[in-house]
Amino acid sequence: MATAVLSTPLKSHHGIFNTKTAGGRMPLTPSPRPRTTSLATNFSTNSSPVTPAVERSIHKRDGSTAYSRSITRSVSKFAYAQSPKSNIAKSKRPPKHLDLGVSDFTLVGTGPSTTTPSRERARKDSAIRSRAGKTTIRLPHQTGDRFIPNRTASEGLATAGSAKFDENSRPKSSGTETSVLDGAFGISARGADGDIASALENMGLEDEESTIVRPKSSASTYESTLASACGISTNQRILAFKPAPPESSKPIDLRTQYNRPLKQASAQSAQFRRRIASAPERVLDAPGLVDDYYLNLLDWSSQNQVAIGLERNVYVWTAESGTVSQLLETPADTYVSSVKWSGDGAYVGVGLGSGEVQIWDVEEGTKLRSMFGHETRVGVMGWNKHTLSTGARSGLVFNHDVRIANHKVAELVSHTSEVCGLEWRSDGAQLATGGNDNLVSIWDARSLAAPKFAKKNHRAAVKALSWCPWQLNLLATGGGSYDRHIHFWNTTTGARVNSIDTGSQVTSLKFSNHYRELVSSSGFPDNSLSIWSYPTLVRNVEIPAHETRVLHSCLSPDGQMLATAAADESLKFWKVFERKAGVGASASREGGIGKGGQLAKQMTIR
Amino acid sequence: MAVATKEKNDTHKIALKGESAVLIKGRTLKTSTTGSSKLVAEFFEYSINTILFQRGVYPAEDFTPVKKYGLNMLVSSDDQVKSYIKRIMSQLNKWMQKSKISRFVVVITSKETGEHVERWQFDVNLLGRNSKSKTRSGGAENENADSNTPAEADSEKTESQIQEEIQAIFRQITASVTFLPVLDGNCTFNVLVYADADSEVPLEWGDSDAKEIKNGEKVQLRSFSTANHKVDTLVSYRLLD
Repeated sequence: MATAVLSTPLKSHHGIFNTKTAGGRMPLTPSPRPRTTSLATNFSTNSSPVTPAVERSIHKRDGSTAYSRSITRSVSKFAYAQSPKSNIAKSKRPPKHLDLGVSDFTLVGTGPSTTTPSRERARKDSAIRSRAGKTTIRLPHQTGDRFIPNRTASEGLATAGSAKFDENSRPKSSGTETSVLDGAFGISARGADGDIASALENMGLEDEESTIVRPKSSASTYESTLASACGISTNQRILAFKPAPPESSKPIDLRTQYNRPLKQASAQSAQFRRRIASAPERVLDAPGLVDDYYLNLLDWSSQNQVAIGLERNVYVWTAESGTVSQLLETPADTYVSSVKWSGDGAYVGVGLGSGEVQIWDVEEGTKLRSMFGHETRVGVMGWNKHTLSTGARSGLVFNHDVRIANHKVAELVSHTSEVCGLEWRSDGAQLATGGNDNLVSIWDARSLAAPKFAKKNHRAAVKALSWCPWQLNLLATGGGSYDRHIHFWNTTTGARVNSIDTGSQVTSLKFSNHYRELVSSSGFPDNSLSIWSYPTLVRNVEIPAHETRVLHSCLSPDGQMLATAAADESLKFWKVFERKAGVGASASREGGIGKGGQLAKQMTIR
Repeated sequence: MAVATKEKNDTHKIALKGESAVLIKGRTLKTSTTGSSKLVAEFFEYSINTILFQRGVYPAEDFTPVKKYGLNMLVSSDDQVKSYIKRIMSQLNKWMQKSKISRFVVVITSKETGEHVERWQFDVNLLGRNSKSKTRSGGAENENADSNTPAEADSEKTESQIQEEIQAIFRQITASVTFLPVLDGNCTFNVLVYADADSEVPLEWGDSDAKEIKNGEKVQLRSFSTANHKVDTLVSYRLLD
């Protein structure tokens, strides 16, 4: 504990120190004081750390009452501050000598006489100080007879303190003085007779402690240093904040941290950054949209039609014409819990609260078939060619081959709670599912008996899932409001390759087809859309999107437009991945997947 | 604090015998006491955050930069860590206001071995005005009137000067990662305070040992001082085997 700074008392300093300490006594003047205080002070005089200088002063003057001395003592601090000069010459002896002199002096019991101009002040001051005076007495009393350890502590203190004085040229007068007092007292008390002991007993010890301890605080550093060295506890406590600190969310390798730029790679200057329209292209009403995170009620087909489930109805909005038609209305005892377009955009799968799954031909406006099997609501669906995967509240995922009568071809058992996210990889080789059990399961389409990987990193329900178009084995998953993270997975190895803490519930995720970016929609508190660069994970833009949490999002077939539906019962369209006319696909989306001519053509929304 | 302030005032009255500035001085002193405590407590808060970041107690992405002391200070944005520090600070503030604290320590402990690997220590020294004048009087043959001038200059230490001093400390803390041993990243931390025995101690706080580092190396860092406090910084760390 003791640093080099603290523990090198230099002898040469003692003189200075002593001067100061002793100096206080020189101009001391006794003043008539009521007897009441004199008991306390009287005693303290005896034990007071009167330095040799004082001794001398005492001898010089007429001896007088004990209490007069006591006053001088109590005034001392103030007094030497007042008249420094007078002290300087008096004594050059280091504090160690002091110890020897004190007890002698104590027994002699002489005191300085009364002749001072500063009498009044002294009296006033002593009134203030009288408590501080008691301080010295209290300590030994607390510890009973055990003066010896106390002395060692404070003796050392005196030296350490004096050294520090010089070094800082800013003495903590009060603190050091007090400790000197203690030490001196300790000695004298040992050598003193019964009077002192009894005086101790009679002391007013009920002083509030605060006054006592205060002067020490400045010197406490040294005190505690020494105290701990000697194994003594001073009147100081080491307090620890008991609650355990929160766990780190992940192990940290400092070496990488030191290399990490504090400002993330958003260093990309503004002029090169893509401009993203922050206003919606179009807003539609979506009355009756159920505010349920676990449902998936919005989808955009490859034929440029948007299907949305509003309570018991499914509406289809045709982007090119801007016309809306009602596709179906469920029986009164249930509601639409999910909608999903088939890959060719001709059919829409509709999941119901009852567990029924219907397939509708949109052009004809007729139901093709109903598929039963789930006993709980079907919150999420996904098409892979002729296979429709449905996830239900029970945690079960079924694969249905919609062409055959015995439609259920596989049962995927992994989740223990409601499945709310489900996404086929574009090549149909892998399926990712996320559930309210905070689990992300990655399935190999060839072996559906058990998930290839089951990832438990999320700490909340996983609804948002998106496969990367330019790197097939990259999957992004977003967690709910307690989790707030987007994790990126290598689905070949199962490794987590990246993470983003978004700061809010992730309700949906979509990779861009053209840019190396993905968009996430969020719930509380921002209800915003965020566009992230990958793999830099820089947030390019955050668009406050809705008044309430964004529940669903889907990309237009050309990949430029994002539709979002929120609990504020509105459906908004955002041109977040707009392709500039002059900018070729190569520049903006190296590696972006070319999806054939029909998607490349510009689309319009009316 | 009341008593201490009184002492200071008295000293001034004597030092400035006959000067009319006495009362005004006393007042500024009193008000700056709370301000100074706040400043020191705030310094502690940023110190914890900086140490947690620099020493990798929490992942770097949990921290966000804020402008403070003319620097980009990194403070935790993790809710749990934030509230944990907040709970510490609320009590620390109370103690600081009452000048109960003489030392503030952040100990970094290895989770695996439970060994204390690093210890950041901040010593709080109360600056009494009387002590200053005493130094001067003890030293040269200054007249009281003369010795008063430096005191005034001192008290007028501007905020920007204090900020510069604090800035220097944080720069040092940041720079210290170059000589401190690399921590394995599996560490936790504890906060200790050295409080006066008579302090009010809420339930969340309890007596503790000093959590010293055995055979630790110590490096004294810079200090800063306000009108009422002087804060010394020291880091001790376990020597590599």
